[in-house]
This record gives sequence, structure tokens and C-alpha cells, in this order.
Amino acid sequence: MTQSLNEIEALAKKAARGAGKAWGMAEEAGKATRVLSDLGLNGAAALVDLLGRNDGADHGAIAPQGTASPWSSASGTLCPVAAGALLSDCAGQLEGGAIEIQDVSHPVLLAPFVAMAAGHLGRPIMLSWVGGKVAADGAAVWLDDPNQRLSSFEPMTLTCALGQAGQGAPLAAMGRGRIDGATWDALNRFAGRTYAPATELSRQLGAGAGNSDND
Amino acid sequence: MTPDPHVTPPVALRDPRIVMRLERLGSFHQSRLSFMRILTRRMTREHWQFSRPVFQIDDHGVGHAVYCAHTPHRTYSLVAFAHDLPAEKRSDRVIAEAWDSTFTLFDGVPTADDIDRLRRNIPVQEAGRVTQAELSVSRANRSVRLWEHVVSRLAAGQQPDVAEIAKVGYLMRTTAVYGSGKLGAADREAIANRPEFSAPFQVEMLSVFLTRTYVRDLAQHMANARGGEAAVTLDPAIARRIGIGNSTGLGMAPFLINHPVLFNNWITARETAIARVRSLPNASGAEVAKFRDLLARSVVSADLWGSAHPIQVEKLDQLRPDLAKLRDHADTADLSSDTPWDRLMCWAEQQLGIDAQECLASLILEPYGMLVDDLADQMSDRSTDHFRINGSQSLGELKTHLQSVYGWATQLDWAQKPHCARAWYVSEEKLEPRLGERFEEPIADYEQPLAPGRDAAALMAALQDWPDDQPVAAFLLREPLHRHMVRRAQIVANAPYSEIRDNTISADLLPIDMLRCKLAFFGAIHFDPRSDRWVRICLYGNAPYPEDLQSSPEEWPYPPLDAALP
Repeated sequence: MTQSLNEIEALAKKAARGAGKAWGMAEEAGKATRVLSDLGLNGAAALVDLLGRNDGADHGAIAPQGTASPWSSASGTLCPVAAGALLSDCAGQLEGGAIEIQDVSHPVLLAPFVAMAAGHLGRPIMLSWVGGKVAADGAAVWLDDPNQRLSSFEPMTLTCALGQAGQGAPLAAMGRGRIDGATWDALNRFAGRTYAPATELSRQLGAGAGNSDND
Repeated sequence: MTPDPHVTPPVALRDPRIVMRLERLGSFHQSRLSFMRILTRRMTREHWQFSRPVFQIDDHGVGHAVYCAHTPHRTYSLVAFAHDLPAEKRSDRVIAEAWDSTFTLFDGVPTADDIDRLRRNIPVQEAGRVTQAELSVSRANRSVRLWEHVVSRLAAGQQPDVAEIAKVGYLMRTTAVYGSGKLGAADREAIANRPEFSAPFQVEMLSVFLTRTYVRDLAQHMANARGGEAAVTLDPAIARRIGIGNSTGLGMAPFLINHPVLFNNWITARETAIARVRSLPNASGAEVAKFRDLLARSVVSADLWGSAHPIQVEKLDQLRPDLAKLRDHADTADLSSDTPWDRLMCWAEQQLGIDAQECLASLILEPYGMLVDDLADQMSDRSTDHFRINGSQSLGELKTHLQSVYGWATQLDWAQKPHCARAWYVSEEKLEPRLGERFEEPIADYEQPLAPGRDAAALMAALQDWPDDQPVAAFLLREPLHRHMVRRAQIVANAPYSEIRDNTISADLLPIDMLRCKLAFFGAIHFDPRSDRWVRICLYGNAPYPEDLQSSPEEWPYPPLDAALP
């Protein structure tokens, strides 16, 4: 089964909201998952694991403690969506120097925000770690990750800085997502928390029923 | 006469604080820039061809059919499945699980394997899955009354009674038309670069256009099966009166809030068109004649517009005399010189209610296709960069901007129950948006972010303690709850018509105002609210069928003068 990018974004947003993210942060999670799915990276699985680990966590505990580099969280492990959103918000800060992002889990979820920042700045940005890097120039994303560290869910420290566009072929946009059934179901379970249980009153009032719709 | 889109017309666009009120949005009328009319213009201009390669439906009305639209470069196929639906299962509610007919718009011409795959998925609608080869998924139910009337008359060798058709308006009504990636269908982004889909909702409008032809053919097929030799063919002039009904519920209302840039682009296009026409110094005799003709037909249309809902009855009680007054004024006023359309609009603002004002605003565009039709290409949302929050903006700048757009919201005491009596939520039962009573139902914890006024007021309150020279990024790092609202506020700075300037959770909110606004952009007429939160409409009433496109005037939504009720 493949999914449309719109339904991936919508479901990932709801799932993040279901796990306690504020709506605005949930929107970032949805967008990031969409972009990764389009690039053939498994953002959905990373998001599911992240939401499980940070279920209901206070934003203040998992977000960067300030805008100045280095970024670290009070809890010890940074949330990639919180760090990514700040990276996108503060894209201009990269023109003043690199930002070190310490101990961020599920780092693949940072990549879409690097792309967003590059698009805003109109120049290439690199996200690098020991043994690998992601480059983005606003139009394309290059991944150089021989040890497959980026797709690990475990915390690692990365550096984001202005850089050069990648070499060789960029990641191809697939236009569709290929999210496995277990991950899709897990997203649906988190999303399900945003749905209000039906009551007889809501059935009567909520959709404006009561009038016959046959004629 | 092709205008330079970069030149601001001398008459300014109407202020968003006037346009974006729910009462006015809920009084919008179709126009040249409505999505159905954009589609029929293109189909006519490009000489689209149509075919029906498959019609395998038995005498019980069960089977499938394929209707193809051939554009200059591509073919799109409506795949229709006809079902024998027991009466007790016929429901327009989104919670229904079976329908009289189900459809998908296929990208290309389906193979037998495609049809087999679709047969397993389309009849069950939300319970099925489709692929990127499918552009939409929809379903329709019969109007039991009119269907039986038309089929039995034709079977008996008689034409149906036009008065009966006028009462209902359609043989089938769609109850949902899903596009844009729903249920696995193709993303809008995947097809948005095709010229035929550059304007909004063209997939959905094409699907409904072909559905109307299928429904006409199916009724004829059933009449032939029933009447045999005695059956007659439906008079094309009568067929023309028959549109496709649509029941639209709350699911559509949040769309306008959830797609602020798209909504802005619709309104901006229409307002720009209005301003261009108002800026014209003179009007020719032919232009004035066309306006007067369509105004007279609008009077007829308002007379034909039936509704039993008290709110709509009241609106019609004002609209009908207002349009008569406008017609009388326009018959004698000088409409040829001295910026006639601007003067007429100013006169209407003083003399007519909002419904008639908006009817007029749409009407003055009619003689000026050359001047305004290009705006159709600006109604989609192609930008992707409005999602990103500008974290370097100063809080001082944000505060000033918030006050200018959402100042109205700070005048309300949001703790007062009447101002926050409602909450938008999604029900577990059918995953559809609903509107509930915040203080009577356990729904507040599930509230969707569909109250920008309240949220902006809360944001402004939170910002009070923050110094003006701090950047937005620093604020949002501490206050993630306001992230959604900051994004909206930054969008409206560049998209002034993106935000409804009214309370969307108040005790007296009428969701049908939002529905009518959206449906008027589709091109619907004769809105018939069935409650404060769902509405019946008719699409493509009086429109050409595929074979009539080349011979039909493009002002088909206006009924002929002789359509007036006796």
C-alpha cells in the first residue's frame, strides 16, 4: 500500500497532537513526516517511536533551552521536531555561525527543517555528524550516510552550518509514501486520541442531524 | 483590453474588514470565477471531446459505466458503479455505508484490471483504498421522488413535469466528493501543473459534470427497461434543467479556516475582478445590455430559489425585493459613463441588503470576461513557503500586526459563555468535523484549532509581558501553544483575505455561512439550508451537457426569463 503525501501529513499531524504536542508543533511534525516520506526516508517510523518516548512530555523539557548554540535540552535528550522547528525559525542565525545540536534523538526528523531553512536563506546548508552529512539547497536534499546513523533513533550530536550543495544525485522525490502497516496503525492510534468519543447528544447536535435527508 | 495584473485598479479592493465578515461571506453568489464556470469555459474553448466506452448496467440498474473526457493532451474517465440500494439504507449523512451510485475519476482510460480493482474499493468509499491513478472518490443518492417521477413518465411514453423538476432540481445528489489525496488518491500537487487543473477543484467539478451525464443516461436506461417499446427519450430541454444535487455538511466549513492562503486567493481574485470593473470609466451598449439581461434573469433565479429554512426564507424575503429594486434602478440609471459600475456598487451599498450587494458584485463581472477571466489562474495555492514561521520578526512588529488584523477579537471577553459556547471537534465515530456545545458536552479536550479570533486574543495577552525587541523564535521556544496562531498571523500579513474577521465559536455562529461561501465559489446556486449546519444545493442546473458545450452561452447558471414560475 502506498499513501498520498497529503494523508501522511494529515495523519502525522494528528498523531503528534494526540501525543500531546501543541497544534503548531504538531503541524511541524506533520510537514516533516511528509517531506521525509516524499524523499523515501522513513520519517513515519521515527515519528512513531519519538511520540512513544516523549508521550505527553513537557515542551520545555525536550526543546532547546535557548536560541544560542549549542542547543541542548533540560531532559538530556533533544526532541528533533522541537529542535527542527527552532532551526527553521532561526535560519538566519546560521549566517552568524554554526549551530551545534546536542544529543538529539531520531535525527532524521531534523532533515526537513534543514531543507526549509536552506529554502529560506536561498543557499546550501549542511547538517553533519561523525561519519555523515545531509546537504540541502532549498530545491534538493543530498544524504551521505554510509553508516546509516541518521535513521537511528538514538541520540547523537550534529552540527548545522552554511555549506555546499551535495555531490552526486540528490534524494529523488517519490511523490508517494510507502509506510508499512504497523507504522500506519501506530500513527492512527496516536491520532485516535484527538477524536472525541461519540455521545448520543453529539450525534444529535454535532452534525446537524434531525432532518430527513431523503426527498 | 487585457489588463496588466500588476497595475492596481484606481478603485481599491474592498477592505478585508468588510469582506471577511461571516454575514457577507454567507451571502456570496456564483460568478465568472466560480470553479464550475472556469471548467466549462475551458472545456468549450479547448473543444474537449467526450465518449462513453462502457455502459454495462442491467435492467435492475446494477453494473458500471465509463465516461471519458478527452482534453487536447489527456483523457480522464469517470468510472461509475450503479447499485440497487434498499430504501432503508439511503442516507446522505457521511455515516452512510451504501449509496445508489459510486464514482471515481480515473487519470487516463481504465483497463479491465483497473475496473476490477476499483469495483472492490469504490463501492465501499471510505472503507476502500485507491491509488495515484485515481483523482477523486465520490458517491450519490437518488432523489427518490423525482427519480420515480422521471423514470415512470418516460417509461409510459410521457415527458416529466417541469414543475416537479423545478421543485427538486436533480435526479441524484452527491454526498461527498473526495479529492487531494484522500483515501490514497493522487495528491493535488501531483496534478496541479496540468493546465486543466490549475484552477481550484477542477477535478471535483469535472467529476460532477460527468456524473450529471451518467445520471441522465441511467434514468433513461431504467425507463427504457421498464417501458420497453412505449418509453420515450427525455426531451433535451427538460434534461438541461436537471442538475446534480449536493448535501454539504460541517466537513466543509473548517476547510476555509484550514486553508488560509487558498481562501485568500479565491477572495482576492474575486475582489480584484470587482475592482477592475468598478474602475472602468465607461461601459458599451452591449455590455450594459448583457448586464441588464442577466440581472433580469437573476430576478427569475431568486424567484425559483426555494427553501423552508427560516433563516433562508428571511434572506430571500429581502433579496427578492432588493433585486427588483436594483433592476428598476438599473433600467433607468446611466450605466454607460462616469465609472458606471462603481457608482452602481456605491448605490447598492446604500440601498440594498448584503445578499443583493454580493449578487450585484458578481453580476457586474459578467460582461467583462476579457478583463477578469485571467484571474482564474491565480486562485490556487502554489506556494509552499508560507508554512515556515519567520522567527526573526520582532515581537513589536508582530504585536502591531496582530492589533490591526485581530483588534476586533480583543473587544470580546472570551471567558463569557456566549463568545466561546461552541467547540469544533472530530468525532471518533466517523472522523468528521462536528460543532459541539462546549459547556454541555465533554469535547473541550478535543477541540480543533478553528477559532483564530480567540487564539489571537490569547496570543496578544501572552505577548504583553515580552519586550518588543525580542524575536518571535525566542517567544515560541517558551510558548509553543501559540505557534499555530503565530503562523496564521504571519500568513495574513501577506494574504489579507485569509482570515474570517468574526467569531467562529460563538453561540450564534451559523456554519452555513461558511458553507455557502465555499459553495458559491464552486458555482452553486439556490442554497437551501436544512439546519444551521448543513445545506442542499444544486450543481450544473441549466448547464450544457457534453454535446451542448459548443452551442451554449457561458452564462448558463442564469435561468432563461421564461423559466419564471407562473
